[in-house]
Amino acid sequence: MKQIAFMKNRKIYFGISIGLVVLTVLATLIFGVNLDIQFKGGTIITYSHAGDLDGGAFQKAIEEKLGQKVNIQEQTNVATGNMNYVVSLTSADGLSVEDQGALTESLQQQFPDNAIETFAVNNVNPTIGKEFFAKCLVAVAIAALLMVVYIAFRFRRIGGWSAGVMCVVALLHDVMIVYLTFVLFKFPINDNFIAVVLTILGYSINATIVIYDRIRENKKRYGSKANIGELVDKSINQSMTRSINTSLSTATAMIVICIVAVVRDVNSILTFAFPLLIGIIAGFYSSTFLSGPLWVCWQEYKKAKKAAK
Amino acid sequence: MKKVGKPVFFIVALLIVFLTYTSFFGISTQYGDVTKTWIKGADTIRWGIDIRGGVDVTFTPPEGVDATEDELAAAQAVIETRLINQNIADYEVYKDTAKDRIIVRFPWKENETDFNPEEAIQELGETALLSFREGMETDENGLPAGITAENVILSGNMVESAQAVVDQQGLPLVSLKLTSEGAKAFDEATGRLSQESPKGRISIWMDELMISAPEVQAHITDGNAVISNIGDIEEAKDLANKINAGALPFKLETENYNSISPTLGMGARDAMVLAGVIAFILIAIFMILYYRLNGVVAVIALMGQVAGIIIGVTGYFPAIPSFTLTLPGLCGMILSIGMGVDANVITAERIKEEVRAGKTLDGAIDSGFERGFAAIFDSNITMIIVAVILMGSFGPTDSLFAKMLSPIFSMFGPATAGNIYSFGYTLLVGVILNFIMGVTATRLMLKSISKFKPFRKLWLYGGVDE
Repeated sequence: MKQIAFMKNRKIYFGISIGLVVLTVLATLIFGVNLDIQFKGGTIITYSHAGDLDGGAFQKAIEEKLGQKVNIQEQTNVATGNMNYVVSLTSADGLSVEDQGALTESLQQQFPDNAIETFAVNNVNPTIGKEFFAKCLVAVAIAALLMVVYIAFRFRRIGGWSAGVMCVVALLHDVMIVYLTFVLFKFPINDNFIAVVLTILGYSINATIVIYDRIRENKKRYGSKANIGELVDKSINQSMTRSINTSLSTATAMIVICIVAVVRDVNSILTFAFPLLIGIIAGFYSSTFLSGPLWVCWQEYKKAKKAAK
Repeated sequence: MKKVGKPVFFIVALLIVFLTYTSFFGISTQYGDVTKTWIKGADTIRWGIDIRGGVDVTFTPPEGVDATEDELAAAQAVIETRLINQNIADYEVYKDTAKDRIIVRFPWKENETDFNPEEAIQELGETALLSFREGMETDENGLPAGITAENVILSGNMVESAQAVVDQQGLPLVSLKLTSEGAKAFDEATGRLSQESPKGRISIWMDELMISAPEVQAHITDGNAVISNIGDIEEAKDLANKINAGALPFKLETENYNSISPTLGMGARDAMVLAGVIAFILIAIFMILYYRLNGVVAVIALMGQVAGIIIGVTGYFPAIPSFTLTLPGLCGMILSIGMGVDANVITAERIKEEVRAGKTLDGAIDSGFERGFAAIFDSNITMIIVAVILMGSFGPTDSLFAKMLSPIFSMFGPATAGNIYSFGYTLLVGVILNFIMGVTATRLMLKSISKFKPFRKLWLYGGVDE
């Protein structure tokens, strides 16, 4: 198999990733983050109806009843093929269950021929939403911290802390790309997002560990006199088939899920399977092209510092 | 693991096939009209309400009211009674004493056609109407009738408190403390009913459900009554909670609610199952074409892993309760199966390398597993760390993991997201199975099958035959 000179081209890889970081920042500024009401609080009600129902009249009826502005969106009902209206309240205060019941009743009276029914309701208190969001972030941070400690311990032979920290850098890179996917496709940031981030976190760390494991093994075999750069190049090339095959298998699974989700028109699955697919590709990229060269940079920097003394 | 006998392959493979079949289809016997389930199949999986639809609601006391732990327990008891009364057995109710919240989740009943989430939520949160009534006469619908309907002796607000206690003989009791108004009413009623022969009864009702009907043993004048003849202390606590609920000084408010129609979720579930089957077949084809015999063994092991995760979700035996599977839970399954594929790929690659480096077949298999193991071990342990953190931070407050992590997460309320807990659970089960199936079972099968002559060709392991 052809050997790829990862170390020689590392500036290209770093450049691509820095470009992605810039893109993420820009995308966030331009498109904004579509935080789901699960985290920011608010109300979304989905009404199903039969026959023709004029969206404008429907919206007006709701606004009159509630005395506030609402957004409405049309959506196809997967199961029945009918159209649904998704009503979101702009005020973040939420709607009491009594008010919501009264609203439904009044809509049913105003549009008696359309068999209006509440299809789904989502009402989140802003305090609970924020608390949940904070909890998610703390959980992810603690998990990442414990991983660094574990990796630092297991890879102490190859400079544990540098391995642990670089693992997490690669992982943050992948999480950022998942986030970018959510922003670019305007998927709402909800608990699916957290589940995807956690999955990619696990996937990415797994991929990086396999490569570091090879470095650890080769270092043992060739001793500490060997050139670090060459050692890492060799290790990455040796793990290449494994990296490609595993990524290919998992990516295939995700592609199948995406296709089925599109064909069956199940949006909730698509919004998590597609970012997962992107995350898997990112995980392959970061573990192969970033984690090894980054680790070498740290080692060379340490060496240079020592020599300067 | 030095010697592995020839039959081992068949034993392990048959065991996996058996597990796969039973975990999907279950085993049950039919005797007349009675079906007895011995092993639960995949159709018994409890789908989360994000998949099959249902209601998720958080109740709190009104602003400014700081509910005591007993009051919350009482409120929880009301909600549970009402759910049971509506024939919803499959609910989850837990209370958060730190933030004064009660979190309720329940799926729509099967075959439910009339979905009215607003009404369902409102009914659950209403103040419970507790009444003590004379006699225990009911009509065919179980509603009070005759004298029982006419004569309400006490209502909930005349009970100051109820408490489950144990008497000197160790028998469980519920002791009641009544207000002065209640004591007066009780004085009159017990004076009369205790004289009757046979002794009269006072039935206790929550809303329109009779929760107890004790016999009146004595004339009670001081407003301190006890209810005896109760099965065990748990039952006594339950009754005390329900009586207290009728005396709750506040109404529950809904802070948060979520309702999903079943048709929305079931489409998602069917699509996931279909995608899962197609993806598994594609991966199997790829593994067998690329890794030959190693691939065949890997596919059997992966089958075992999928079966194992399903077993972990259904509980397998009827006595073990099922676990609720949500969309993120499916995500956790996918990740752990991905890790299983990876473990098999790593091992197969290593064996190929060793064979190509000119090692003997047995030597190559041994060192292939040995060298691949470090990477598999490290990545699976990191997964376990993630899974445990998630289960601790998003699971029920009384779970083991939650107790371990409570110093960190005590500033947050318990889970508003059972969904993510499900992710941690399937991931943890999957990773443990990865050690059992992806590492041990693969190794046993490969070592044993390589003892057979037809399977000693190096080509089968990715090598080149001389």
